[in-house]
Amino acid sequence: MAKLTVNGKEVEVPAGTNLIEAARAAGVEVPHYCYHPGLSIAGQCRLCMVDIEKTPRPTIACNTVAADGMVVNTETDRVRETRKSIMEFHLINHPLDCPVCDQAGECWLQIYYMKHGLYDPRMKDEKVHKPKAVPLGPHVILDAERCILCSRCVRFCDEITATGELGIFERGDHSEIGLFPGRELDNKYSANVVDICPVGALTDRDFRFQVRVWYLDTAKSICPGCARGCNIEVHVNRRRPHHAEGRRVARLKPRFNAEVNKWWICDAGRYGFGFVDAPDRLLTPAQREGGSSTDVTWELGIAAVAGALRRLPPEQLGVIASPKMANEDLFALRRLLDLHGISQAAGRVPTRVPGDEDDFLIRADKNPNSLGAELMGFGGDARTVLEAARARRLKFLWVFGHDLLASALSERDVLEAFRAVETVVFTGSNANWTSAHAHWVLPAAAWAEREGTYTNFEGRVQRFRTAIEPLGQALAEWEIVGRVMASLGQTLSATRAEHLFRQLVEAVPAFAGLSYPLLGDTGSPLAAAGAAGRPGAGAPPSEATSSSC
Amino acid sequence: MTDGAPSTSNRTPAVQAGLSDPATIVSFSEAQLGEVRRLQSVYPDARGALLPVLHMAQETFGYISLEVEEYVAALFDLSPAHVHEVVTFYTLYFRERPGRHIVAVCHNLSCHLAGAPGIIAHLKQKLGVDPGETTADRRVTFLTVECLCACEAAPMAQVDDRYELNLTPEKIDRLLEGLP
Repeated sequence: MAKLTVNGKEVEVPAGTNLIEAARAAGVEVPHYCYHPGLSIAGQCRLCMVDIEKTPRPTIACNTVAADGMVVNTETDRVRETRKSIMEFHLINHPLDCPVCDQAGECWLQIYYMKHGLYDPRMKDEKVHKPKAVPLGPHVILDAERCILCSRCVRFCDEITATGELGIFERGDHSEIGLFPGRELDNKYSANVVDICPVGALTDRDFRFQVRVWYLDTAKSICPGCARGCNIEVHVNRRRPHHAEGRRVARLKPRFNAEVNKWWICDAGRYGFGFVDAPDRLLTPAQREGGSSTDVTWELGIAAVAGALRRLPPEQLGVIASPKMANEDLFALRRLLDLHGISQAAGRVPTRVPGDEDDFLIRADKNPNSLGAELMGFGGDARTVLEAARARRLKFLWVFGHDLLASALSERDVLEAFRAVETVVFTGSNANWTSAHAHWVLPAAAWAEREGTYTNFEGRVQRFRTAIEPLGQALAEWEIVGRVMASLGQTLSATRAEHLFRQLVEAVPAFAGLSYPLLGDTGSPLAAAGAAGRPGAGAPPSEATSSSC
Repeated sequence: MTDGAPSTSNRTPAVQAGLSDPATIVSFSEAQLGEVRRLQSVYPDARGALLPVLHMAQETFGYISLEVEEYVAALFDLSPAHVHEVVTFYTLYFRERPGRHIVAVCHNLSCHLAGAPGIIAHLKQKLGVDPGETTADRRVTFLTVECLCACEAAPMAQVDDRYELNLTPEKIDRLLEGLP
């Protein structure tokens, strides 16, 4: 440990802590561009100058290790003057294109100019011009004129993905970020460079020009793209729907979680939200008879399920739940099945192609809640339920989310199973081949439209919050189950997901001790739940300037 | 270094050692690969040998093409982008095939005061190309460079691996005649 003083405040930090982090621990923000806690130290931007007592001149904080007895001051006159001059240097060749720059509003040149710059420009020479709007790969576009050469993107590709696509070429004021000629920035994590770019040099091809960032609302969430459960923010455009032709989810951004994804997410997860606003969203309950589908009321749709539950013996009822459902949904469904003694239940559907996986974040299991489903008794293979259906032992089958006809299951077997049961009900957010074959379709809210928890592959339970309202009449799965129970005279005693989570914690031993407040923003592992609570664990050590500003 | 002294460098000029056929396969000989390994072992970090190996590559292949950058990157287990960073940073690596001879005139302060602008103008007129260009017959690549540390004999130029000092237009003419 090192005990030092920052701006008159004493603070103790672990040995090896740099002065940016030490100052942060003392509640002092040292402005910086090139420093990123997840990357090596470059010392390139020179903005993080601080005064250290007994040193002759200001020193960069990022590359100075806190030492016992150090007296650091971040607000001396000469530090302020130095910052101002460095800002002036950074902006010498920077184009004044903020009005058409997608970074405007979350740009650290803008922010720091207002905080630490505010000088009268002295540049009389023409600015150096560089390539603009150069696509680097499928997701990232470069404006070399806006770049301040902090090298964060270069270091990301060297140190995090070890793919080394980017470099700083030429020199002096001709230096520019670029790719080896003929190569692309096309790794599985490429768009993280957009998050860590402090300026408008690297922008997101999918997001840019959709909507100004100051119109976005954000919600803390969990990526539903695989079993890792990366922490994310969902950025939604509610206030200017006409700017993006009704697309509500504008983008996903990684949210720091030391235990799960650090500062990063993969591109597949980042761009995997398209289904939320897709034209194939299921908006109203519907009944299909013969070849045609008719919209019906929720009452009618619920009655179809409740009627079957009331009428049929439990051994003739089958359910295929989904590991994409939240713990709360699965628990509600488990309650319903237990109340009725239904044992034909599964959750796992084999995929046609095995999911890709790496040793970083990406998991082969593309479901966010496989472990939760297993703990709730939905770990079984859907094939057993379909077998029972094909053997004409089932009269009612409720499928959640899965597209059985796009899975590794034989299409013939699935269709045969469907034909063999009287009633097939599909509940999901989007239409698929399976929903097209169901007799009843009950629309589910997408993950961004409701709240709940997922249990990741490591047994970490994490909350995701509501970012937008459900489209059409869609409901969270637990609400659908609740309505079915209500119409059967049973009660779920839950008006919010949290109520169900409390019941789940009581009922499922693995979850014992957990609660929404305990999960906080970064979740809690199942095993550790019994031990000391640790709300707020894994708060970011820093990074104002990375990601989701 | 005195006027006209033979170069102490054991490097042959890039243009003389360079292979004339641009389509030549980019590959070092076994002996050269041994030298690469030796150079890599003398630096604390093998990457330190990148500059001398790039010079070797330039002598062998005539210039540093993108293909050469990729080849050298593989020898160092570096990404080609990082070799490209180094090659684009330094001025002594040729990214395009230079002429058979390189005439590099200093245009830094001492030489400028001692008449470099006249020398440069004379060369432009004689060669018919601007600094940074190569004559159409590929005989001469004409460059202007920063101080080469021979201010006492300004204005000066480096012609291939030799310093040519106390230049005058007449001396330039004689020099050019001597370049095959």
